[in-house]
Amino acid sequence: MNLTFYNDEATWLHRLDPRTKLCSVLLIFVICLCFNHPLFMAVILTGVLFIFTTAKSIKVLWKIRFLLVLLFVFSVVLWPFFIKGKTILFQWHGLEISSESLLYGFAMGLRLMTFVSTGLLLLATTKNEEITNGLIRLGIPYPVAFALATAIRLAPTFADAGATIVQAQVSRGLDLDSKNIFSRFKRFAPLAIPIFISAMRYTNFLAMALESKGFRPDAPRTSYYEPQITGRDGLVLGSLTIILAACLYLRLSLHWGIIISGRL
Amino acid sequence: MTSSIVFDHLSFSYQNTIAPALQDVSGEMTRGSFTMVMGHSGAGKSTLCCAINGLVPRFLRGDYAGRVMAEGLEAGKISVPDMARTVGIVLQDFEAQLFSTNVELEMAFGLENQCLPRAIMEERINAYLRVVGLEELLRRDTATLSGGQKQRLAIGSVLAMETPVLVMDEPTTDIDPEGRYHILSLIRRLKTGERTLVVTDLDAEAAVQADQIWLLKEGRLSAKGTPAEILTDASLIESCGIRPLATVALFQGMSWPGQPLTVEAAAADIENRRLCPRRPESRVISALTPGKVILETRNLSYRYPTGAVNALNDIDLTIHEGDFVAMLGQNGSGKTTLAKHFNGLLKSTTGDMLVRGRPVNNYRRHELAKEVGYVFQNPDHQIFAPTVREEVAFGPRILGMDRKTQEGNIAEALDATGLSGFEDKNPFLLNRGERQRVAVASILAVKPAVIILDEPTTGLDYVHQRDTMEMLKRLNRIGHTIIVITHAMWIAEAYARRSILMKEGRILLDGPTSAVFSDEAMLAKAALAPSDLIRLRNRLGLAAMTLDDMIKELRGENILA
Repeated sequence: MNLTFYNDEATWLHRLDPRTKLCSVLLIFVICLCFNHPLFMAVILTGVLFIFTTAKSIKVLWKIRFLLVLLFVFSVVLWPFFIKGKTILFQWHGLEISSESLLYGFAMGLRLMTFVSTGLLLLATTKNEEITNGLIRLGIPYPVAFALATAIRLAPTFADAGATIVQAQVSRGLDLDSKNIFSRFKRFAPLAIPIFISAMRYTNFLAMALESKGFRPDAPRTSYYEPQITGRDGLVLGSLTIILAACLYLRLSLHWGIIISGRL
Repeated sequence: MTSSIVFDHLSFSYQNTIAPALQDVSGEMTRGSFTMVMGHSGAGKSTLCCAINGLVPRFLRGDYAGRVMAEGLEAGKISVPDMARTVGIVLQDFEAQLFSTNVELEMAFGLENQCLPRAIMEERINAYLRVVGLEELLRRDTATLSGGQKQRLAIGSVLAMETPVLVMDEPTTDIDPEGRYHILSLIRRLKTGERTLVVTDLDAEAAVQADQIWLLKEGRLSAKGTPAEILTDASLIESCGIRPLATVALFQGMSWPGQPLTVEAAAADIENRRLCPRRPESRVISALTPGKVILETRNLSYRYPTGAVNALNDIDLTIHEGDFVAMLGQNGSGKTTLAKHFNGLLKSTTGDMLVRGRPVNNYRRHELAKEVGYVFQNPDHQIFAPTVREEVAFGPRILGMDRKTQEGNIAEALDATGLSGFEDKNPFLLNRGERQRVAVASILAVKPAVIILDEPTTGLDYVHQRDTMEMLKRLNRIGHTIIVITHAMWIAEAYARRSILMKEGRILLDGPTSAVFSDEAMLAKAALAPSDLIRLRNRLGLAAMTLDDMIKELRGENILA
């Protein structure tokens, strides 16, 4: 199992300053919140997917295809039950589904997919160390930035340990396919405890290793990869800001891209 | 000769423990020297290493008395990050100390902490990657490196900091033989520098090149001296839990003059002094007497879902009841992947896996657990219960055995693993060797016909390794089929009747262990080499596989008797 998302290429997106990429992710998030019409969301998602292709990172997206499909399906299935619309398609014991609510569900599904894909785009094109570096330069305190980067760094390691632990317990006869709720609870301890303890050991050890290499979270340090703001960074941030402004204008003044008004 | 590291009556015991980890250790290591610290597991080797850069007592707390000076700095008085400019340390678990996402950045990590400018960092990174032989892998993701490469990277990243003292805690543990060879030759090259080197190891063969050997026993410095002084005293080092050098042990056993430390020296001695007559090249190698077939693969191939090439190619193999099999090969040769097919953890991409003639897919999980047990390499990946009894009872309970059978099986399993009396102890507080035995007992309690063990002796000292293997020998004698995946050649040589040699997902050689280990050319193809004892045996043309048997054979006694 490999859960690291970084995709070592040398595209324009990889070369962008991490600060630019972090800000761009936020801008795209806000752009996503401008519309709740599925067509508009689809256009935004298509845009993000296009950036993925220019960053040669579609294969990273492929790794989480199940998650994306799951988010979409859940959204489409669940939203219609919580939203009311005018055009009723189907009614049953007080439950009603309208075409608006269905479309809203689609839009929300696409929005979730766009959120996740955008975040992934950052991870696929930015090294962990660059993210830390970017966060610090954006004024985030070092311990916070370091903790965040460490969490991203350790997720695959713990997932690996988790996979081994599952195999070890299955070898002893642990039945993970059983449907019984009670036995589900019972099999929690054999998996959770070794995962927890190995994670504790690992992090403790890592802390020793980092200190032994002269690391301290509050001291100044230089950085081997020094990102540089170039004209390209200005261009990207400028374009995204213009797109955001245009989207806000479309939504607020022209009332475009709205399926259900009064909702994000 | 100026001293670089000075231990002055150092004693230390960890918090919440009774037995001291180090007791009154005093001694000096001169600048530019290479000291090998050896001892049984729990002798205090790691504690000694960590005391040099102040991790003991500043990170690992406890009662500390005496002092340690490294290049004039008192460790323990200065913070660990400040000591890092003087003392570089490579800790035992090399996986956990690699933190960065690629090789280059890992090398840069310590240099960034030293606030070096980029140009100097680049220079040092390139220079030291060449020293450790990883210059081709500059941009590689560290997670994709082999164990040996990871260890060399861990060493390189500390070397780049150019500290006058370099400490390495068991740098060859948990590494395949090829990786071990690379690291030992790296240490040999580092020795020529100005740097003071301190290395711990469990294996006497690694200590031959040291200037000094320090022997630790139960926290005390029991002896120190040159390799020629220490390694020739077989009973001394055996009492410290270290396997004596095969050459010394054989010469002492035969009462031959001389105490050669290497196979080459031993062979020269034997030749020059005509110690033993040249034998005709007709060794009698016993054939295997197979029982009923229990595991069988037919044309089995496997490819990992994310893999580009097959991890296993057309494996045709039969394992018989009562076999004692060693599976040998480098990391990535497919040993573990194949073994995971034996109990259905992995499903073949093409071909069949049969257990007692029945496809493995036709078994229910709990049926299979009773046929084939699998002990994973790291016991900490399975231990979860608060007592040893509950841990061992997990398998029998979950497989629905009745209470009486459960209790009987648990008692037998604890007895076979030498854990009787440990029932109510907390498994997390046991030492690594004991935890390993708990893991074996918990598989054994299900009474599987076949027991597979992945690296059962990693991280164990000689005494614990021997205990573990003797236990497996007993289990084999009462009818269990044993399959051991191992990097420790002497374990395969001394205990396995059959050895399977793997390379790049194929079986290279499969036969009686004594025959497999006679074929040094084939072993070399799999990047393996026999232990010193067996290399000497092959040179002398003997048939015996253990020291005692070799002595008997040389004296003309019957081995089988």
